[in-house]
Amino acid sequence: MNPLKKIIESSEKHFTGSGKLKGLEPIFDAIKTVIFHPSPKNKQIPFVRDNLDLKRFMTFVLISLLPVLIFGIYNTGLQSGIAHGESYTIIQAFLKGSGYVLPIIIVTYVVGLFWEILFASLRKHKISEGFLVTGLLFPLTLPATIPLWQVALGISFGVVIGKEVFGGTGRNILNPALTGRAFLFFSYPASMTGDVWVAANNAVDGISAATALSVMAPEGESITTALFNSGFNLSNLFFGFIPGSIGETSALFCILGAAFLIITKIANFRIIIGGIVGLIVTSIIFKLIPNGGNSWMDAGPLYHLCAGGFLFGISFMATDPVSAPGTNPGRWIFGLLIGFLTVTIRVANPAFVEGTMLAILFMNVFAPLLDHIIIKNRASKRIPNV
Amino acid sequence: MENIEIVKGFKTPISGRPDLSVIQMPEPKTIAVSALDIPYLRPKVIVKVNDSVKTGTPLFCDKRNKCISYVSPGTGRVKQIVFGARRRLQEIVITLDKHGDKIDDFIQFEILPPGDIENVPISKIINLLQQGGLWQCLREFPSKDTADENNTPSMIIVSLNGNDPFSPHPAVVLENDIPFFECGLKILNRFSNRIIVTSRQGSLKRLGGFKDHITHTVPDFYPSWDPAVVHYKLKKSVEDNGSWCIAAEHLILLAKLLLKGRYPTKRVITVTRENDQKPHIIARQGSPVKDLAGELNPNYIILTGRFNGRLVNPGSHLGFFENTLNIIRDNKEDELFGFIQPGLSKASVSRTFLSCLTKTPKDLDANSHGEERACINCGYCTNICPVDLAPNFIMKALLSDDIEDALNYGLLDCSRCGLCSYTCPSKIELTKILSDGMDTHYKDKE
Repeated sequence: MNPLKKIIESSEKHFTGSGKLKGLEPIFDAIKTVIFHPSPKNKQIPFVRDNLDLKRFMTFVLISLLPVLIFGIYNTGLQSGIAHGESYTIIQAFLKGSGYVLPIIIVTYVVGLFWEILFASLRKHKISEGFLVTGLLFPLTLPATIPLWQVALGISFGVVIGKEVFGGTGRNILNPALTGRAFLFFSYPASMTGDVWVAANNAVDGISAATALSVMAPEGESITTALFNSGFNLSNLFFGFIPGSIGETSALFCILGAAFLIITKIANFRIIIGGIVGLIVTSIIFKLIPNGGNSWMDAGPLYHLCAGGFLFGISFMATDPVSAPGTNPGRWIFGLLIGFLTVTIRVANPAFVEGTMLAILFMNVFAPLLDHIIIKNRASKRIPNV
Repeated sequence: MENIEIVKGFKTPISGRPDLSVIQMPEPKTIAVSALDIPYLRPKVIVKVNDSVKTGTPLFCDKRNKCISYVSPGTGRVKQIVFGARRRLQEIVITLDKHGDKIDDFIQFEILPPGDIENVPISKIINLLQQGGLWQCLREFPSKDTADENNTPSMIIVSLNGNDPFSPHPAVVLENDIPFFECGLKILNRFSNRIIVTSRQGSLKRLGGFKDHITHTVPDFYPSWDPAVVHYKLKKSVEDNGSWCIAAEHLILLAKLLLKGRYPTKRVITVTRENDQKPHIIARQGSPVKDLAGELNPNYIILTGRFNGRLVNPGSHLGFFENTLNIIRDNKEDELFGFIQPGLSKASVSRTFLSCLTKTPKDLDANSHGEERACINCGYCTNICPVDLAPNFIMKALLSDDIEDALNYGLLDCSRCGLCSYTCPSKIELTKILSDGMDTHYKDKE
């Protein structure tokens, strides 16, 4: 017998039945099923089943996030170097970036898992694989300089209020990772806006770097010139060598991740394409309105697409199947409206420079309504069979 | 010939397609009439153990309509009446008489000359079919229960292909029996003006001149040829809901019974197994599974249709409606890090395994490949449902006891093809939940 199997089988008695560590049964079960993929004989028709399960499903989302994560770590180091007035080599940047990013990820997983295990043992069900994705998405939406206690608070809010109070995975209305981020955004705005990217931990006079979205041109100057003067051009917005939340800066890597999710059919392409189309159309309409020359109104589709967290949000957050609509027309509308709302909030609402998070959360709330309308409409077209 | 456009279904190539050659199985020692493959049946057993029966002797009837009888497909002695849990009839086993060269003894029913089929009163045809134990070949939508003789169906769908992708090829079933099939169409014409004959496109090549009888073709992936799917695609109004359907091989049996006055006992059966090509088998109705499938080791299970068939006990006998045995492997070992294997030969409708890049036939096994989880609304079930249902939403309506919503969403159009459960990454028993919902509704109505 496989030695790993032996270890698992011999320790099983401590975690099950009347074992001493019964409370930790969900975590034991999670480890056991990750190592040995459970595949019992089917008991109902059909007696054959597809090979895809949620473990693989969620693993694929994680894989799609890896390039974004690795680039995020590198860019964090790079920006920290710029803030310190030093220029790091690639390895230095990675090391420095890891110092910021890894603690955030570890705190997220540890605190989040605590809640997951707690609810799993209370509800007597297994730990849902969905948390692995939430636990990686959440850190990527945070600025690297966020205090770790805020990370713990945010993920707790996201998991408990965003998901578990509704009954756990599959029943949540809002995306748990975004709920956590929204909580931090409104509770601790000072740590969350990109304006205070203070990488110099010990520096008394922290060097602040604005994010692209908070740039506002002076009278008579166009927004693109102002962006250029602040160090943002289309190329670095696209590649992502700019300050911002860990995962959101690089449009390129977000597009790569989105392409991977679309090709493997893990994410629904309708949401992503719909969102991008909605954003492009809305930003063109705003550009056509006169007198917006000095604000993001005049930025045009390419800047709107590459700046801020839109591509990250539409690729990884909006495509969360639980909080998105379950019907294809619903997914199109959902995506289009996220694109529309993102630009509208960016342009029309001076209080929030970044609209993606709010747009997605807002549309999450409307997803069941979209489904309801579409299903009723479909049902009315069927030939009744009662 | 019209093509019915169907876009959703199971398109992965699978291995084990049977060969088109035909072998004759020797007469088995025992045969049985199973009650397990007859939906909604409430059997009343007529015979006792040790009674001697002839081919055509009624063994049990349906309590709901006692005229509908289920007759013995052979001559011999009743060996055993097998009951399952709650004394539910499972099968009536008959030991066949050893008769050497003697012709099988049988009950002679009334013979109808071919010309009479269009003229005799319809009640007589119904009566002969019910007595002869073949009326139940006609099934009525939406639940595919035995057809109600008092209804007039607006169409009758004749399906040349069976329930499994590898059910007997129509060319083998129809061989030498085309005149009976034509006569069968005349019988159906007495019940309805609109007769639909459907065939998979892939079966056409070998059907030659028979093609003229086919009114509609369907794409070559499961379950396009299922009568419920064809019915869903063809129905235009509420009147079409109560249509009937029948399998082509059963239509031939009907004609043989009426023209020869004798219960036909021969059936064409396929046995499929991964990486194997077994011939079509001609055997007596109700033959033992062991004789057909051969000896099995415990790592295999036997199904009568991999997606929508039942699990058969190797010691039991094949049912009246069943003509396929799928031998499917059951992997007992859990795979090490199975969730992240590249999966060159793993069948999946998703594109998360390398197997999606190859066109080689895949094997389906009897394992779930994961544990049950909550529905994440991914839409895989909606994307594969051949009758355009949203099984995830219907499942939620049924679980919250909202049968009205489930019916509005089209629950009764469900063909029970099994693909929603097959494809679900959360391993939710969608087919079981939908099927039970349909049955509960149907029984409440009765």
